[in-house]
Amino acid sequence: MAGRSRSSAGRGDAPEPAVEPSAERDAAARLADHAAIDRLADELLPALSAKLAASSLGEIEVREGDWRIRLRRPSDGIAPSSRRSADRPSRTQPGHAGHGHAPAAVEGHRAAGSRDGTVPLAVGPGHPTDGDGSGTRGAARAVATSPAVGIFQPRPELRPGSRVRSGDRLGFVDVLGVRQEVVSPVDGIVGASLVEGGDAVEYGQELVRLEPSGSGS
Amino acid sequence: MFSKILIANRGEIALRILRACRVLGVGSVVAYSEADRESLPVQLADEAICIGPADARRSYLSAPAVISAALVTGSEAIHPGYGFLSEDEGFAEVVRAHGLTFIGPPADVLERFASKEATRGLLGGHGLPTIPGSNGMLRDDAHAVDEADRIGYPVLIKPSAGGGGKGMRMVRTRRELETALKVCRSEARAAFGDDSLYLEKWLEDNRHVEVQVAIDRFGHGVHLGERDCSVQRRHQKILEEAPTPALPPAARLDLAERALAAVTAAGYENVGTLEFLVDGHGDFYFIEINCRIQVEHPVTEMLSGVDLVETQIRIAAGEPLGFSQADIVMRGHAIEFRINAEDPAHEFRPSAGVIERFVAPGGPGVRLDSHAYAGYDVPPYYDSLLGKLIVWGPDRPTAIARSRVALDEMLIEGLPTNISIHEALLANETFLEGRWTTNLLDRVGSAAFLAAASRG
Repeated sequence: MAGRSRSSAGRGDAPEPAVEPSAERDAAARLADHAAIDRLADELLPALSAKLAASSLGEIEVREGDWRIRLRRPSDGIAPSSRRSADRPSRTQPGHAGHGHAPAAVEGHRAAGSRDGTVPLAVGPGHPTDGDGSGTRGAARAVATSPAVGIFQPRPELRPGSRVRSGDRLGFVDVLGVRQEVVSPVDGIVGASLVEGGDAVEYGQELVRLEPSGSGS
Repeated sequence: MFSKILIANRGEIALRILRACRVLGVGSVVAYSEADRESLPVQLADEAICIGPADARRSYLSAPAVISAALVTGSEAIHPGYGFLSEDEGFAEVVRAHGLTFIGPPADVLERFASKEATRGLLGGHGLPTIPGSNGMLRDDAHAVDEADRIGYPVLIKPSAGGGGKGMRMVRTRRELETALKVCRSEARAAFGDDSLYLEKWLEDNRHVEVQVAIDRFGHGVHLGERDCSVQRRHQKILEEAPTPALPPAARLDLAERALAAVTAAGYENVGTLEFLVDGHGDFYFIEINCRIQVEHPVTEMLSGVDLVETQIRIAAGEPLGFSQADIVMRGHAIEFRINAEDPAHEFRPSAGVIERFVAPGGPGVRLDSHAYAGYDVPPYYDSLLGKLIVWGPDRPTAIARSRVALDEMLIEGLPTNISIHEALLANETFLEGRWTTNLLDRVGSAAFLAAASRG
């Protein structure tokens, strides 16, 4: 019965872009690259994200053609927290629709909002090519999550469409009379509220969607 | 009775409490950290609520997080299990202040028994023998030398605060004492922020024997016999059994009755355990009280048929015990094996990772309390207990024979466990003869012990 390694490969490595072009290429290669990027973004990324969340690994890297993608768990010791495979309706789980506590930050050239890889964001695929824009897809999404278990109160003046900066207060969670601030993880525009003011929320629960500014253009 | 209980713990004890709630028909909410999302108690729970990140200080040890979770889920009581907040009188008081019930002794009772030194004085005053030791804390080195001379070497230097062996040294001479005092002071200061020390007489070949009691709010109490927890590795129990092979029936009864009388007179309430050292002559000395449910409580449940967790909840709800000493009949012999995620090949360091295969043993008298399952990813953040195998037989030889079969059936693949040390114990003559003492494993060395067993 051998022990399993839980070590994180290459955490101390020199920073390197996770998705990088190899060298000069012709048009055919460029097309192949875009196909590879599409596949990385659409199929591999969600699958890898789920795999990383469910595993004990610190980091996962795969290669596809000349491209590679690497996902790294946040470095602050947050535990793996894959979603429940089967939520039961009887359970009090107000915040478990959609993907909640995304544990993996995506590294990439433009992984929107991943400041230092420790923000609990639901981050969309990064876009490695700036050149002709054909690799661009929908804007990355971000979600402000609950810092504690308690009662959520949004800032009343905030409406969908309000513009906020990273670190701006979106509301608070009342924990035994002590307010714990809910802050925006990104510069962007306030989207849908996922819970009502006065609702009980658990730690890590998704509260407010945000559309990061500067992405998707 | 409560309508709903918040379970503020994890692992096998969270599952044990969940089961007790269901038997009582009481609703329950499992409070969990992000690292325990996939654990069995969370999956089986009627309700579950995430209270914080993996770091226990921000989840299982966070009084605000736990109490807030209880309030927002409409729970009326909090069961703290063992460890974490289970014996924190400050927590119990804050729980009460929020209109909730702490399942355990009331805060004022916890406070009365919070200091080991004061508790020894209190229960010593109610007739329990205590280990000869220094009169209070050591003022300085000269005081320590005088006290050691009076007690007689060898003596054990112990810190006033904490546990787990930190700041503790056994010394055989005055010279060793003078050197060790400095080391113990700095260890105790570093570990507990308090460097006060005291001395105890060192009992050379001792057994660890503890008495289980249950006392309701009306002062009506019973004892449920004793458990022998002499098989330890570095002050951690790994195997417990009852009755103790160290004492004849009359002495066991005397111990249990005196423990119950003393703790009742001192105003204890709810389930609790009084720990004793028993020396080679069969003399016993009270060392400390555990004001909570203990890991090894199933041993007593197997002998008595009493559900201790259910009893604990009912007492906290203000119900009378509902049975008396005459109703309790202790039958047969039971042994509990703590199955830990530890690597025997590497100094029993904790292991973590995915359990690839998991086969639970069965058969007459076999009980497994475990939160593990095939596919479960054992997180590295908490203690290494994967579960407890408890085996009952009408007598000790039968319990041992059944234990061998059960341990052989039990299969955990994917990460190392300590099952091999239990198999080695069941092949060891000293254990089989019931002569095991607390420091035996450390004196031989766990690795040497295992190696000898595999050669044999």
